Amino acid sequence: MMTLQEQNLSDNNFESCIKCTICTIYCPVTAVNPDYPGPKQAGPDGERYRLKRPYFYDEALKYCLNCKRCEVACPNDVKIGDIIQAARIKYADTRPSLRDTMLCNTDFMGGVATRMAPVVNFTLGLKPVKFLMDKMLKIDRRRTFPKYSPVRFETWFRREAEEDQKRFDKFVSYFHGCYVNYNYPQLGKDLVKVLNALGWGVRLLNHERCCGVAKISNRCIDEATRDGENNLRAIREAVARGDEVLATSSTCCFTMRDEYPHLLHLDNADVRDHLLLATVFIFQLLDSGKAKIVFRDDYRKRVAYHAPCHMEKLGWTIFSTSLLRMIPGVEFIPLMSHCCGIAGTYGFKKEYYEYSQGIGQPLFRQILDSGCDFVACDCETCKWQIEMSTHVPVLNPISVLAEAIDVEATVASNK
Amino acid sequence: MKFDTIIIGGGLSGLTAGIESARAGRRTAIVTAGQSALHFWSGSFEFLCEQDSREVIERPLERAARLDPSHPYRRIGIERTERLLGRVQPMLAEAGITVNGSLGRNHYRLTPMGFAKPAWLTLDDYLAFDHPNEISGRQVCVVNIYSYLDFYPRYLETGLRKLGAAAMSREVNIPQLDVLRKSTTEMRATNISRFLRDDAVDALAREINRVSAGTDMVIMPAILGMFSDEPVKRLRRGVERPIYFVATTPASVPGVRCQLSLKALFNRLGGTYLAGDTVLKGDFEGTRLRRVYTENFGSIPLEADNFMIGSGSFFGHGLVATFDRIFEPVFGLDLNAGKSRTDWYDKDFYAPQPYMAYGVVTDDRFRPSRGGRTVENLYAAGALLSGFNALREGSGAGITLATALAAAEELTR
Amino acid sequence: MKNTQTDSDCRARADRAEDSRRPGAGTTPCKEYDVIVIGGGATGAGTARDCAMRGLKTILIERLDFTAGATGRNHGLLHSGARYAHTDPESAAECIKENMILRRIARHCVEDTGGLFVTLPEDSLDYQEQFVKDCAKAGISADVLDPKEALRLEPAVNPDLIGAVRVPDGSVDPFRLTTANVLSARMHGADILTYQEVVGFVRDGERIAGVRLRSNRDGSETNVYGRVTVNACGIWGHHVAELAGVRVNMYPAKGALLIFGHRVNNMVINRCRKPADADILVPGDTICVIGTTSTRIPFNEIDRMEVTPEEVDLLLREGIQLSPRLAVTRILRAYAGVRPLVAADNDPTGRSISRGIVCLDHAVRDGLEGFVTITGGKLMTYRLMAEEATDLVCRKLGVDRPCETAEVPLPGSEPDARPENRRQHIIELSTEQKAAEGRHGSWSGRIESKSDADDALVCECEQVSVAEVNYAIDELHVHNLINLRRRTRLGMGTCQGELCACRGAGLLERHDRCTQRTLSDLASFMNERWHGMFPVCWGETLVEAQFTSWLYQGVMGISGKLDTEENK
Repeated sequence: MMTLQEQNLSDNNFESCIKCTICTIYCPVTAVNPDYPGPKQAGPDGERYRLKRPYFYDEALKYCLNCKRCEVACPNDVKIGDIIQAARIKYADTRPSLRDTMLCNTDFMGGVATRMAPVVNFTLGLKPVKFLMDKMLKIDRRRTFPKYSPVRFETWFRREAEEDQKRFDKFVSYFHGCYVNYNYPQLGKDLVKVLNALGWGVRLLNHERCCGVAKISNRCIDEATRDGENNLRAIREAVARGDEVLATSSTCCFTMRDEYPHLLHLDNADVRDHLLLATVFIFQLLDSGKAKIVFRDDYRKRVAYHAPCHMEKLGWTIFSTSLLRMIPGVEFIPLMSHCCGIAGTYGFKKEYYEYSQGIGQPLFRQILDSGCDFVACDCETCKWQIEMSTHVPVLNPISVLAEAIDVEATVASNK
Repeated sequence: MKFDTIIIGGGLSGLTAGIESARAGRRTAIVTAGQSALHFWSGSFEFLCEQDSREVIERPLERAARLDPSHPYRRIGIERTERLLGRVQPMLAEAGITVNGSLGRNHYRLTPMGFAKPAWLTLDDYLAFDHPNEISGRQVCVVNIYSYLDFYPRYLETGLRKLGAAAMSREVNIPQLDVLRKSTTEMRATNISRFLRDDAVDALAREINRVSAGTDMVIMPAILGMFSDEPVKRLRRGVERPIYFVATTPASVPGVRCQLSLKALFNRLGGTYLAGDTVLKGDFEGTRLRRVYTENFGSIPLEADNFMIGSGSFFGHGLVATFDRIFEPVFGLDLNAGKSRTDWYDKDFYAPQPYMAYGVVTDDRFRPSRGGRTVENLYAAGALLSGFNALREGSGAGITLATALAAAEELTR
Repeated sequence: MKNTQTDSDCRARADRAEDSRRPGAGTTPCKEYDVIVIGGGATGAGTARDCAMRGLKTILIERLDFTAGATGRNHGLLHSGARYAHTDPESAAECIKENMILRRIARHCVEDTGGLFVTLPEDSLDYQEQFVKDCAKAGISADVLDPKEALRLEPAVNPDLIGAVRVPDGSVDPFRLTTANVLSARMHGADILTYQEVVGFVRDGERIAGVRLRSNRDGSETNVYGRVTVNACGIWGHHVAELAGVRVNMYPAKGALLIFGHRVNNMVINRCRKPADADILVPGDTICVIGTTSTRIPFNEIDRMEVTPEEVDLLLREGIQLSPRLAVTRILRAYAGVRPLVAADNDPTGRSISRGIVCLDHAVRDGLEGFVTITGGKLMTYRLMAEEATDLVCRKLGVDRPCETAEVPLPGSEPDARPENRRQHIIELSTEQKAAEGRHGSWSGRIESKSDADDALVCECEQVSVAEVNYAIDELHVHNLINLRRRTRLGMGTCQGELCACRGAGLLERHDRCTQRTLSDLASFMNERWHGMFPVCWGETLVEAQFTSWLYQGVMGISGKLDTEENK
C-alpha cells in the first residue's frame, strides 16, 4: 500500500488535466483555424474517448503543429502535444501521402539534391515547377524552398577540417542535422570556428541520420524509429568516448531528447543529459570560466532574438540570448515569444499554408517593427519562414558568434 | 548559471517579489512550471472580507489588527502590511493595470452569478460600488454575446434587481465572431478576445449602443483585451453609455492580461523568466540553500544567494497530496497539515475545508524550515503558507501580495 | 421593467410551459389508471413499459428522479451469469438469457466488451475447472484462454495471471436503459411523474384503490387512483409496503464502488474465485468501475450513504490485483448503492435470504387486493422482473396480452435507424455527435442542431452540446442538473462539473426562467459532486476540488446558503 496512488500518472500525464483551458489560450492554431478542436479537446479530453473506442479519433488532429506551447503553459505538466502526436500515430488510418513521404525523407531528398544542387535550386525556383508541385503534390507554390548546397557539410568537414581537429585535446561531437549537411554547411563551419577558437575540437558522429522530426510529424514512424535507433547508437559511442553531443538546431535537439522517449518509445535516459544545444555548451564554458571569448571591436548589429517553440519547450532560450548579450556590439531586441507558423514540413503543405502564415503574422509584425539588422534564431525552419515572410535575414546564434568573435584574441586568451 | 535571487513560482507572489527584486538591481530569475492561478482572476483582489462565516468586513485594515496573532498580516505587522501593500497599485499601474480601492474600506464587486462581494482592489473597468445601494434606481442593460455560455445575464439581472437597479438583458452578435462558432469549444472568453480588435470592436460598440438605448449603463462579460487593454479602451470610447465588465468563468481575459503584463514588467526590469520548467531539488549547505536543479536544466545548477518559494497550494503543486500523506515536493519543507486523509476535508463542500489552511511552517520572517531547522536564505510567500483559509476569509490576494513584498524586502536587503 | 420576481412566479410559469411543451412529461395526471407503478428505477420503468405495451392505462411515479436509487449506483455490468454459475445456477441461467435479450432490445445501452475471469497465483486453478463446468451447465459460453492470449486481449489485466476464461460479459448503462424504458412507456401512452412521493395509500376496504402523492418540489398533495398498484421501489419498497399495511422483510446491503478517470480496461475483468469484495472491474462509457463491497446497513442510512476510508482502501487493494494500473490511475469518485436483500417468506428470522426475483401478490399473501410488490433480482433481470410483475397485474385485471418486451427494441435501439439531421464535421461526425449517438442511439437524430450555437459544448469532458442539453430538457424529464447529468453525462467527467455545471444551470434557467431555483440547484449539484470526491480526495482530485472551490465560492460567490434539500 505504500506506493499505492503515490503518483496517479497515466501515459503523458493525460489524467492530470484539470480542464482549466489554459492550453487553449496559448495554442497558435486555434487562433487561426476553427476546424482544430484545440489542445484540450484534441489532447486529454479526446484521449478518454479514444481509449473507449478508436472510432472517436478525429482527423482534425492533423492541424496540430506540435509546437508544444500548450505543454509549456500547462500548470499540471500534461504532455498535451505528445498525447496528440501519439494519437495521430496510433489512430490515423490514412497512409502518409507521397508528398508527406518526400517532404520528411530529408536524408534521401538531400542526398539526391546536393549532387545536383544548382539544377535542383534553379528548378525548385521555377514558376511552372512550383505550379506543378502545387497541383500534383499539394506543396504550396507560394512557399520558397531552402536552397541545396553543392557540397555537403560532411564532405567539407572530411576534406577541410577533420585533420586540423587533431591538434586539440578535448572534443565535442557534433550532430549537424540535415539542414546543415545539405542546405547550409556554413552554420556547421561557424560552429567549428567558434569551438576551435575556444580550444575545443569537433568530431562528427559515427554516421548520423536525420533526427526524424519530419518523419514523426508525417507519421512515418517505422523509418523515424530506425533513424532514432541509429542516432542513439552513434550518440552512445560519442558519449562513451567522453564527448558531449552538440546540435545547432533546437528542433533536432528537442526531438532526440524528448520525442524519442515520448513518441518513439526509445529509451535515451542514459545519454539525454549529454545531448545539448551548442549555445548551452558554450555558455557553460564561458560562465564557468573554463573558456574565454573575445569579440571584435568593429562588430555593431541590432539583433532581434526569436525563440522557436521547441526552444521554449526545452527551456533553453536563456542560454542563446545570454551569449548574444555578451557581444558588446550587439543591441539586443527581445521579441515576444510567438510561433512562426511553419512547424517544419507543416507550412509547406498547400492545405496548411494560410494557417501557417496566419499563425506567424504577429511575429512577422514584431520583426518588421523592430528595425533589427537580422533575427537570431536557433531553428532552421523558423529561418525559412521568417526570411520568406519578412525578407529580414535570420542567423543562428552560433553564426552570430562566429561573425563577432575575434578568433586570434580568443585563442590567445584560452592558451 | 548564477543569480542573486531565484524565485520558484511565476504567479502573483513570484512576479511581485521578482519585480521588486529586479527593480532593486538584483539579478533575478523566476522558475515556473506552467501558467498560474492568475488565469482565473475575478478582476478583484481581496484583503479581508469575512470572518467566522458570518461577519462581513467593511473596514478590513482595522479588522486585521484584531486577527489571531498567527495570521500572516499580524506576523508582518499591520503597519508594515499597510506600507507594503501601498506598493501594489503603483506596481500594477507600471505594468499597465489600473485598479481602484482602499485598505480602509472594502467596496463591492458583482460576481458572474450576480452576487455583491466585498473586495479591496478592482480593475478600473469592472463594475464596482462602495455601497450595495449605490446603483439603486439605475437602468442597467446586461449585454451578452450571442451563444456565449460562460456569462449569465439572467443571474446578473436578478442580482442587480436585488441591489435596487432596473435591469434587462440583451444579446448581440457581430459577424466577426461567426468563425468561432464553427468549433464547438471556441466560444470561450479568451478565444473571443482574440477576435475582438480593431473594426470588430467598433461593430460591437454599435450593436451595444443599439440594444442599450434608453438605459443608464451597460454591463458585459470581460472578454476583451487579452494581450493589451487597447480593445477595452476602444470599446469604451465607442459605447455611448458608461460600460463596465463583469468576470466570466475561466479562463479570465483580464487575468491573462495581468499575468502577461506583470511578466513583461519583470522582463523590462531585467528579470529572467524561465517558463515551463520545474525545480526538482535543492542543494543545501548547512542551513543555506545553495543551488537548485530543474527539469530543463538537467545537471546545470541554478545558483543564487537568496531564494523565494511561491509555488502555491495544491492547485499550484506547491503542496502535493497522495493516498496517505501531504508533502512539499521541492525541498521537503516542514508542513502544517493534517496527518490522516480523513482530517483533510469536510464532507460539506461549503464548509471551511481543512486542507485549504495547510502549508509550510515558517519563522516570523516567513522562512520555512526543513527537519525543524530554518532555511536561512529561503523565503516563502502566498498560498504555500499555512494557517489561514484564504477562500473563507477572502484574503488570498492580500496575503499573497503582502508576503511576497515582505519577502522582496528581505531579498533586497 | 419588472423589479421583483418571486420563486412561485417562475415555478408557475415553468409548469405552464412544461405542460404545453413536453409530450407526456410531467403532465397533470388524469385520476384513474389501470395500474400505478411506484419506483423510477429500471424495474419500475420496465414494468411501466410492459404494462403500457399490453394496453393498460399506466402511470409511473418516482419520488425523486429516475435511477436515483440502486439502479444508478451499481457496476453497470452486463452479467453473463458466469459469476453465479457455481453458487446460484438459477440466477446464472436468468442472467445469460436476459444478457442476450438486452443485446437485442437495448443495443445503445450495452457494449459487448466481453469479460475475463482471471485466476491469480494465490487462487486455485481447480476453481477455474469447476467454474467452466458450471458455466456449461448454465448455458454460458466459457472459453479457457492461455494467460498470454488473455494479456494480449486485455493488456490491463494483472500479468501474473495463471489462468483466464472468456465469457460474454459486457457493460450496460443503467441511466440510458431506464430512460429508454420510460420513453417506451410514454410512447405507449403511460404518464410519467417524477418528484412525487407516495405518502399514503387510498384504501377501499381490503383493497388498495390509489396512492396519496406529495410533490417533492412544492409539497402539494394529490390522489391518483389505480386498479392495481405495483411497488417496484427496491429497498425503499420496504417502507412503501409498510405504508400499505403489509410487511415485506428486506435488508439493505450497501455496496461501495470506485470510478476511475478513464478506461483502464476494455474487457470486464473478474476474479475467478468464490464471489468476494471488489472482484469485478467494468469498463463503462469513458470510465471504469471497481466494486463492490457488501455491508448490511440500518434503514436510516439508505438515503445518506457515503463511502468510508476503509472501503476505499479495500477496493483499491483488491482492485490492483485485477489490474495493477489502478494503482496509478486517478480516481474520480466513490459511491455506494444499496441492494434489497429479501428474506424468504417462510423464515421469520430473516436469515434466509432469497437471491432471485421476488414477486408478491399481496392479495394471496396478505389478503390485500390491488397491491403487488416486485423486488429482489438485479439490474440484469429488470426486464424479467417487469414481465413477472406485469403478468401478475394482467391476471388480476383479466387482461390476456402476451409480453413483447423481449422482442421489441427500446427507443434508440431500433434496427437500421441511422441518425439523420447531422451537420457535417470536417470528415464525418464530430466527437460530440459521436458521443451523443452513443448515449441516445438512433434517437440522437432527434437532437436538433439549428445553428452553430447549438453545437457548442456545454460539458467538454463528456462532450455534451447545447443541443443535447435542450433535447434532454424538452424530452427526457429534466428539471435540475442531477437529472441532466443522468440523461447526458454532463458533469460526470474528469472535472466533475467544474466548468459545465454553471453552463448547465444557465441553460436550465433559459427554459424555466427561474433564477433562484437554478442557482440553488447549482449550489446543491456541486455539493453532490463533492460528496463522491472527498472519499478519494488526493492527487489531482484534490487539485481539482480546490480549483472548483475557488471558482464557485470565490469567483462566482456561491455559498452554502443556496444549497437546499429540494434539488436531489
